[in-house]
Amino acid sequence: MTGQVKRAAPAISVSRLQKRFGDLPVLIDLDVSIADKEFVCILGPSGSGKSTLLNIIAGLETADGGKVTLGDKRVGYLFQEPRLLPWLTAERNVDFALQGCAVPVARRAELKDHYFALVGLAEFRNYYPHQLSGGMRQRVALVRSLCVEPGILLMDEPFGGLDELTARRLRVDLLRIWRESRKTIVFVTHNAYEACYLADRVLVMAHGRIRDEIIVNVPRPRDYDDTAVFDVNRDVVRRFLAAAELQPERPGQVPGIVPDPVLQSSGGMP
Amino acid sequence: MGLRLGSIAGALLLWWLLSLAMPANLLPGPVVATVTLFKDFAQGDVLPHLAITLLRVTGGLALAMLIGVPVGILMGINQRAEKVLDIWVMVGLTVPSLCYAIICFILIGLNELATIVAIGLTAAPSIAINLWEGVKTIDFKLVQMARIFEVGRTKILLRVLLPQVMPYVMASIRMGLGIVWKIAVLVELIGRPNGVGFKLFYWYQLADMAQVLAWTLLFTLVMLAIELGILKQLEHRLFGWRPRVGL
Repeated sequence: MTGQVKRAAPAISVSRLQKRFGDLPVLIDLDVSIADKEFVCILGPSGSGKSTLLNIIAGLETADGGKVTLGDKRVGYLFQEPRLLPWLTAERNVDFALQGCAVPVARRAELKDHYFALVGLAEFRNYYPHQLSGGMRQRVALVRSLCVEPGILLMDEPFGGLDELTARRLRVDLLRIWRESRKTIVFVTHNAYEACYLADRVLVMAHGRIRDEIIVNVPRPRDYDDTAVFDVNRDVVRRFLAAAELQPERPGQVPGIVPDPVLQSSGGMP
Repeated sequence: MGLRLGSIAGALLLWWLLSLAMPANLLPGPVVATVTLFKDFAQGDVLPHLAITLLRVTGGLALAMLIGVPVGILMGINQRAEKVLDIWVMVGLTVPSLCYAIICFILIGLNELATIVAIGLTAAPSIAINLWEGVKTIDFKLVQMARIFEVGRTKILLRVLLPQVMPYVMASIRMGLGIVWKIAVLVELIGRPNGVGFKLFYWYQLADMAQVLAWTLLFTLVMLAIELGILKQLEHRLFGWRPRVGL
């Protein structure tokens, strides 16, 4: 059901990944394979382990078992919050990320010009984060993650904290950027429509596993209000709900009461 | 600025009115105090005493920072260190500065070292507490961000952690200075043959209120000059990136 074999070597290959926080299994024997230049959305409710999966792929957390293989070691990451250094201007924030990366110094100015223009922030390079709106800050963070020229871009609910209008604009921008730069993108979200609009493939995650997979056969470039996207969305939401209602598996579970992460968080999503 | 000047003028006026209501030898007015101060300056009596006090203040503050900053940072980042040290920071804060002064003079002798140690020990706990709180506010999500972009450890320390701690270091310098000034004169009063504290005590014994006020005035002016002329400017330069909050 998962890890469908794709052509050539995958950009990201995850096999039998295990992770637990204390007694709580977060990832259970998780397998997933993501093709080069593919745009994959991982859709799951809060507490399904999707952020943990992303963090392990990024090397921010270590797994308890299993293996992650990356085709390109250069990974960019866009967090839910911009995470800009408040004492540096937008451009200096990008420079800060560039100093540690392998992008040749000669190319850096050109990259910055290109991406700042692409997200419409060319005039705001010398502004401090507190002088920018939430959406603009997230754009700066996007520029930062693109300027290091990652082969793989990991995004953890990057538009989740923004108002719908701003988020919508950024989604459209992101697809345009992806079309131009052709990176492998793994995008974590709990917003089904967002996933359907963006992705080639939506992976539905619940209780520490990939439960379902939907190929989005909507031709690109896509229109945000395309009825085809709505149709896929209806299907995805149905399968998303079905997956979320599955009982969690607990291999080797010790008898006793174990808090259920999904039941606890089903009240609302952040 | 206008409000500030107005408030100073108001205070001087109040002082002047009070002095009119009281006997001249008990509460001389601002003019008398200022004239007395100028006369002392003219006699060359002020600068040597002021200089030695400033030296002790600087030394004491440096020692207090040297102890307080590492202790505070350690307590902020390490829970075990916090458990071991927090009781001693509380104790250190509770012991009156007079006790530190007396103990230092008896153990080390009536000398400059004892003076600076006494001042430093008294101020260190407050500085430690300030840093302790400061380190707790560090945003480690920014460290995670830096790690994603493969920024080295030293750079993370210097460019991500230090800028977050600096406002607290700066605040503790200002606070420490305020404390250190007050302890310095007290220590001078009981164990030194010179300095502003010594002069204050000397004029107190002669019951010369004009001189006492003149030296208090001197002290306050120097303190304000350091605060506004140096520390405020420094803070402005260092933290110009911060948004101005209107309350």
